[in-house]
Amino acid sequence: MKKIYIKEEYCIGCRLCEIYCQVKHSKSKKIIKAFKTELDMVPMVTVEEIGHHSFAVQCRHCPDAPCVDACISGAMSKNEKSGVVTCDDQKCVGCWSCIMVCPYGVIKRKLGEKKIASKCDLCQDELEPVCVKNCPNEALVLAEEEEKDES
Amino acid sequence: MALKPRQTDFEVVRDQDKCISCQVCLRQCSNDVHEYDSDQDIIYSDNSQCVGCHRCESLCPTGAMKIKQSESEFRQNFNWSPAHIKNIYKQADSGGVLLTGMGADRPYPIYWDHILFNAAQVTNPSIDPLREPMEIKTFIGNKSDVVGVDIDQGETFNMKLKQDISPQLVLSTPILFSAMSFGSISFNACASLARAARQFGTFYNTGEGGMHKDLEIYASNTIVQVASGRFGVDIDYLKRAAAIEIKIGQGAKPGIGGHLPAEKVTEEVSNARMIPQGTDAISPAPHHDIYSIEDLMQLIYALKEATDYQKPVGVKVSAVHNVAPIASGIVRAGADFVTIDGLRGGTGAAPQAIRDNIGIPIELALASVDTRLREEGIRHKASVIAAGSIRSSADIVKAIALGADAVYIGSAALLALGCNLCQKCYTGKCNWGIATQDPYLTKRLNPNIGTRRLENLLRGWSLEIKEMLGGAGINAIESLRGNREHLRGIGIGEKELAVLGIKHAGEAW
Amino acid sequence: MKADYLIIGNSAAGLSAAESIRLLDSHGSILVLTEENFKNYSKPLITYYLAGKVNLDQMYYRSPAFYAQKNIMLCTDTCIVGMNTEKKEVISAQGRKFSYNKLLIASGGIPVLPPIPVSGGGLLKDEMKKIEGIYTLTTLEDARRLKKYIEKNHIRKAVVLGAGLIGLKAAEACLELGLTIHLIELSDRILAATFDHKASKIMEARIEQKQGRIYTSNTIKQIKASQGTVEKLILADGKQIDTNLLIAAVGVRPHTAFIDAGTIETERGIIVDKHMQTTAEHVYAAGDVASSTDILKKRAENIAIWPLAVMQGRVAGMNMAGKRQEYGGGFFMNAVEIMGIPSISMGLSGPQESKDAEVLTQEDGSSSIYRKVVIEKNRIVGLIMLGHIERAGIYAGLIKNRIDIGNIKENIIREDFGLIQLPADYKKHLVVGEGIEV
Ligand SMILES: Cc1cc2nc3c(=O)[nH]c(=O)nc-3n(C[C@H](O)[C@H](O)[C@H](O)COP(=O)(O)OP(=O)(O)OC[C@H]3O[C@@H](n4cnc5c(N)ncnc54)[C@H](O)[C@@H]3O)c2cc1C
Repeated sequence: MKKIYIKEEYCIGCRLCEIYCQVKHSKSKKIIKAFKTELDMVPMVTVEEIGHHSFAVQCRHCPDAPCVDACISGAMSKNEKSGVVTCDDQKCVGCWSCIMVCPYGVIKRKLGEKKIASKCDLCQDELEPVCVKNCPNEALVLAEEEEKDES
Repeated sequence: MALKPRQTDFEVVRDQDKCISCQVCLRQCSNDVHEYDSDQDIIYSDNSQCVGCHRCESLCPTGAMKIKQSESEFRQNFNWSPAHIKNIYKQADSGGVLLTGMGADRPYPIYWDHILFNAAQVTNPSIDPLREPMEIKTFIGNKSDVVGVDIDQGETFNMKLKQDISPQLVLSTPILFSAMSFGSISFNACASLARAARQFGTFYNTGEGGMHKDLEIYASNTIVQVASGRFGVDIDYLKRAAAIEIKIGQGAKPGIGGHLPAEKVTEEVSNARMIPQGTDAISPAPHHDIYSIEDLMQLIYALKEATDYQKPVGVKVSAVHNVAPIASGIVRAGADFVTIDGLRGGTGAAPQAIRDNIGIPIELALASVDTRLREEGIRHKASVIAAGSIRSSADIVKAIALGADAVYIGSAALLALGCNLCQKCYTGKCNWGIATQDPYLTKRLNPNIGTRRLENLLRGWSLEIKEMLGGAGINAIESLRGNREHLRGIGIGEKELAVLGIKHAGEAW
Repeated sequence: MKADYLIIGNSAAGLSAAESIRLLDSHGSILVLTEENFKNYSKPLITYYLAGKVNLDQMYYRSPAFYAQKNIMLCTDTCIVGMNTEKKEVISAQGRKFSYNKLLIASGGIPVLPPIPVSGGGLLKDEMKKIEGIYTLTTLEDARRLKKYIEKNHIRKAVVLGAGLIGLKAAEACLELGLTIHLIELSDRILAATFDHKASKIMEARIEQKQGRIYTSNTIKQIKASQGTVEKLILADGKQIDTNLLIAAVGVRPHTAFIDAGTIETERGIIVDKHMQTTAEHVYAAGDVASSTDILKKRAENIAIWPLAVMQGRVAGMNMAGKRQEYGGGFFMNAVEIMGIPSISMGLSGPQESKDAEVLTQEDGSSSIYRKVVIEKNRIVGLIMLGHIERAGIYAGLIKNRIDIGNIKENIIREDFGLIQLPADYKKHLVVGEGIEV
């Protein structure tokens, strides 16, 4: 499956990935409107930063995903064909077991009425996840395992 | 603190209706222009710190920002321009030499914009480069006085050259990347240049920065410089290179040396330059062993000797008043190529007074050098590479018609990498990751992207060159070189036309 | 009936095993047995069901078509009461015999009932069926009955005995139903397995804010019933509580009543090796019924949590289907949100006994934010996070992989602690995927 690979050496810490991720998963999908009116947005990709080191991480869509194992409601599942791990908002009960076991720390709590976990869905309806598409320095690359180092 | 007159050059215009306070601008500015106020959820900008690099504007996801030339104006005065006034303020403040970066920006005539190229009509057919062969391959080096062939009259009909040919650089297009040292530009910028040169079949130039270990793999596409500081020069450096260039002068700062301040001499820079870390890297104004053409000849032959006469050795000079006889001397001293760097050539750091007032434009220098070498019958003994603000494929075509074999591009290459010509290279705070060694900034230039963009530029320009050649009915760049009949001047005087060796527009053959 | 793979238990461990067997062996017959009368449902969701937050349909964590799709047979209402490892068969209460090539015991746990005397008779475990108003809460049937009881009798008050994971979740469900609750806990703090006093105090305060009363270091001495319904509880310290509802949640124990004790050894749970195999040939065990490696306590432990049940089930399934696979061990962990305060705790995070332990804490008294990391010999062994729980899993990874955090200790407790602070090798491994298939 195609996954997002992180090129730590090129992350410039601009956080545009976080911004576009929030817009993509907002109600309005319009950047200015979303930021001015939807105050409960949580990015599913996170830039971690110390000094000049930084990188953006989002769900790695692990082969044996611990979050899927830990999910008590069947909300978290790995698509057998695409390999994408997604959380079904309808099923999620907000028990946070997934947060407890994710070694990457990339699952978050969605702010809002219903308690649900929020995680990267690889922007299934896009050709390319928006974080990858909008990274100005190609520090995030969508690629098959074998081509991850080519560019 | 004494009051200082205002010196704001730019104004950050922020459309608050569009600004989402995402702070991308703030994170990208190395000049601390922007500041986020969390109480008000607003970003404020300090115009006085803005250098006009447009990094924030380029990355703003909502298009909320515009960087404008400061609207605050001095009383109009044709003598005392704002630039003069502000410079005086700055110097009254600092008491120092005003530094700047990139090439001269004064409004001297730009002759490229006063030269028009020709096209074929009726009496000779134009050529479609997409359908017919078109050769822009270029050879840099000394060409033999005569060429003879031995033909084996037997069945195979083999031909063999009678003479040994001097070493040549083979370029897939008449464009090279000019000398920009590691130190003045970042490793990622150097890597982009090196990789693009390799992939496109041309060359980049180390400048006086030495060769970074990780770029040794690109040595066969590298021209190495031997400059007055001799930084990074040892036998391996010379032997690895594809060609050697002795740097006498640079268009942006003829007659003066260079100074890389100690704080920029990082571990990596010190390794490449072979000097102690954290010491000033001073390139003397002259080479202390060159006071005459004869001395230069000694160095040329020392380098040829050291490299077994296997690679071209050239000399780079700035375009000064006497450039034609100097070039003649250089060719006679045995150089395989002469690089002429014009007035508008760029730099990582130069005193503004020098950058903007010393030297002559490349167009005039190139024409006079080519003319002189022809008159002396030695034009074929060396290639001529023109440098100093080549801005487009048209500039290249005109340069070649004026007599150049190829051109070096520096500023244009940096522009392709993202440069906005803010001219603050000397501060080391380049927001585009080009002219800096700050690890926070250098990673902003991803060499994968850099390489791709440089290659794109070379490809685009090469296609345009072919189109222009075809239009003029020429199918090989060789046939254009020095072919000044294809050029006409426009809006310039007799004297300039004479120096350029071209007719005025409207004059037929 | 005969099956290539026979699985006792239709829950986390059992189904995870069935799924992994099917991945490796597309033909072998798989038969799953359960004593319950449901296809499958998620046990941890029963308190959510009780609270009305999920309906019956949402209880099924695998779709109804699951069994057909995976070609897995299921027998509900089939309680196994005995087995014979020699003959490779098990027998149900109805007397049906099932034989197997490979057997997985994934029968989970059954609630423990403390020996509390009930007025007018014997101990709780014997009297429970006779009196109304006393419930355990470990099955969906329990939850349905309890829900009905509360609704039918307009119950306004509940007493929960035991403030462990199930007790707290039961208490929270009751609070959400608008009941006042009284929580009685023998230990001096709630969630004693992983909470320390500080964490307990924060949660207690919140529960008390919301119509809850908590009695720690206390228990029920006697239960009084009248007319077949519970009426009053007398606590160890003499306090009395009038109530018509008592939920006993003092813990579960491995459900091993039916096993062939001659060949299958137990030590609290069924003892298994790295491959989840029991001491009997062809017989495996996984989930709440098994005792397997606790990597922190460094001995076999019965750790009754869902993620480990799934993981163990998968390992057992793979080995049953012939693929050698080792179970790397686990440790206790817990995620509970009580009345709006999320918490995650894991490992040896209670009050410390060990002299070697280093304890780093960070708290923000006003906002219920508390964080504690317990370190032994430069390895993290325990964690409590209250309020802010994001990235707890990073700590779980550090614990599990026994990562030396000696050089990053000062960062460990920071609020923005993340992958970037991790030791270089481990970080590379996680971030750039060096050495692993990310
Ligand atoms: C109310 C509650 C809340 C919980 N919350 C959490 C939580 O938030 N997080 C967490 O990690 N864990 C939680 N747990 C624990 C979690 O549910 C268990 O760890 C998990 O269900 C164990 O799975 P298992 O497959 O080992 O056993 P179980 O889920 O106990 O399933 C046992 C299966 O075996 C069957 N069975 C048992 N005996 C027989 C027999 N003799 N014959 C036939 N079939 C039999 C049963 O019908 C059942 O299908 C909670 C448990 C409860 C009760």
